[in-house]
Amino acid sequence: MVDQHRVLDNVRRGMIPAHIYNDKELFELEKERLFSRAWLFVAHESEIPQDGDYVVRRVLDDSFIITRDANGEIRAMFNMCLHRGMQVCRAEMGNASNFRCPYHGWTYRNDGRLTGLPFHREAYGGDDGFPRDGQTLLPAPNLASYNGLIFINMDPDAQPLEDFLGDFRFYLDFYTKQSRGGLEVRGPQRWRIKANWKIGAENFAGDMYHTPHTHASIVEIGLFREPRAQKRKDGATYWAQCGGGTTYKLPPGNFEERMRYVGYPDEMVDRIKRVWTKLQQQLVGDDGFMISAASCFPNLSFVHNWPKVLDSADADSPDDVLPFISIRLWQPISENETEVCSWFAVDSAAPPEYKKNSYKAYLMCFGSTGMFEQDDVENWVSLTNTAGGSMARRLLLNSRMGLLSDDRPVVDPLPSAAFHGPGHAQVGYNENNQRALLRLWADHLEMPPVSTAMTALGTAATI
Amino acid sequence: MTTPQIGTPVGKPLPFNDNRHLQAHQFLVDEAYLLDAQQYETWLDTLADDIHYLMPVRVTTALGAGFDTSPGMAHFDEDKYSLSRRVARFATEHAWTEDPPSRLRHDITNVRTFACEDDVHLVVESAELLFRSRGDVNEAALVSCGRQDVLRRCGDHQDQLKLARRTILVDESVLRMQNLAVFL
Repeated sequence: MVDQHRVLDNVRRGMIPAHIYNDKELFELEKERLFSRAWLFVAHESEIPQDGDYVVRRVLDDSFIITRDANGEIRAMFNMCLHRGMQVCRAEMGNASNFRCPYHGWTYRNDGRLTGLPFHREAYGGDDGFPRDGQTLLPAPNLASYNGLIFINMDPDAQPLEDFLGDFRFYLDFYTKQSRGGLEVRGPQRWRIKANWKIGAENFAGDMYHTPHTHASIVEIGLFREPRAQKRKDGATYWAQCGGGTTYKLPPGNFEERMRYVGYPDEMVDRIKRVWTKLQQQLVGDDGFMISAASCFPNLSFVHNWPKVLDSADADSPDDVLPFISIRLWQPISENETEVCSWFAVDSAAPPEYKKNSYKAYLMCFGSTGMFEQDDVENWVSLTNTAGGSMARRLLLNSRMGLLSDDRPVVDPLPSAAFHGPGHAQVGYNENNQRALLRLWADHLEMPPVSTAMTALGTAATI
Repeated sequence: MTTPQIGTPVGKPLPFNDNRHLQAHQFLVDEAYLLDAQQYETWLDTLADDIHYLMPVRVTTALGAGFDTSPGMAHFDEDKYSLSRRVARFATEHAWTEDPPSRLRHDITNVRTFACEDDVHLVVESAELLFRSRGDVNEAALVSCGRQDVLRRCGDHQDQLKLARRTILVDESVLRMQNLAVFL
């Protein structure tokens, strides 16, 4: 492994060695040091609403069964039979009380307990040869949820999820808590793109600068009125601990008027007011900022936009818009390939007509067919492709937007009276969030590998 | 999206020399030409005003689970308006994903036509393989799918066909194409 200190130092000062977007050695380092200890999103609780429901999700090369067991408890189990290592579940989703391995018929309850072991007495001499009780599929080393978002951590000694998310929870709530019932999600759509996973995460974290140009066609066809260049730069970007995002500046008005401006019906605004804190409401009502895209380190992103999606919409009426929310995972496959998993999310208490139209808004804008998304991916594939060559190793990409040569900010940070959210925020175009994300990335790559323990089953021997 | 059910097929597939089958087959081949050539505005005219254009997300489920699509989620779930916005976008000068344009080949096979209870509609099944090449050396992408269409007779002499319903059942759970800035 070559010394990466120089690479990481350059990243920290905002000069990005272009090859980090297509570098096999760095990808191995990311697997060993970053994805082995970061909290990684795998599913939302609403995907497994009933006892026995399950989805199967990957964390890099590992497959996990995420179940709601017979007692309603959520579990994440490594999808590998304890006997010969077969995948015990080969479906992507369903409902099951048991998982039976197709190889030799070992059977596990949906909480992971081994319950069936054919010819236990004859083949193993019963519990003497293989004590069956207490054996379970390997649980994920760490599992935790926030607002229904289920995360896995491969480090058994990881810091608690709540501590990791920290102040970013303030912003997560905008996307994931619009009533006491919380979100319901659909999907994900899954597709693979020949792009490095970091590019999408950076883009969603803070790239307001690309919107007016990359997405010019969206404005031209009347789908989304906001991203005109003059308007986009009036928004603020913020970074809070493990994540950050972009906002749009709304026209004058109070909280209710501004929520209405982006298309929330009154009954949803009423429910939102009951669950968002005073400060969260002030960010919209007093400061006039509405959340748009965001990323949570390392590879989870969110979108909240409010396009015009109904043909009944009068072309001259600016009010006929509707918000949608999407959750997005940038699942790394290799240094130059990413599986995108994109969920549509909507408040579970929203009226049926709203859910229908919000879903439509999502499909038109984001996801595998989304009109925003199409142009983004084209750029990221091209970037990744170019980053794989030798010339990319001679080029430091300038990612210092928002900083003067002596590291003073181009624009002063917003005071807390003008931006009621935690962390640091400023108006206008900058690459502060992309740098913050990559600084966390660099810090992780310098941490020692996570120590892992072996689990030996059915034997007294310790390893 | 919920749309009224139309076009209930009756009986076996029409013989391949049946005029209705020949007309339906020609409709699909002519349409494939328009999609290959990206003549999307002309293509839009071949769609009925009440079109429902649906491409569910496929999921792997256990045999006997009773479903193999992601509940409530699709890649496309379109009406004429949303399709018209997609076509309008391609007509702008800023749809970067198709500038330079892809080279597309929609191969259509396994066409079976069914008469319906009414005289107005035909149900047509087809298999489709889309080959998409971008740039000079980028790996090409394939999408394989089955389609079930409802075609409707229209025009003054009932001599014209329009696409009223299309359900696209893609054969992969995880698409190996960077986006669906194409139609199937």
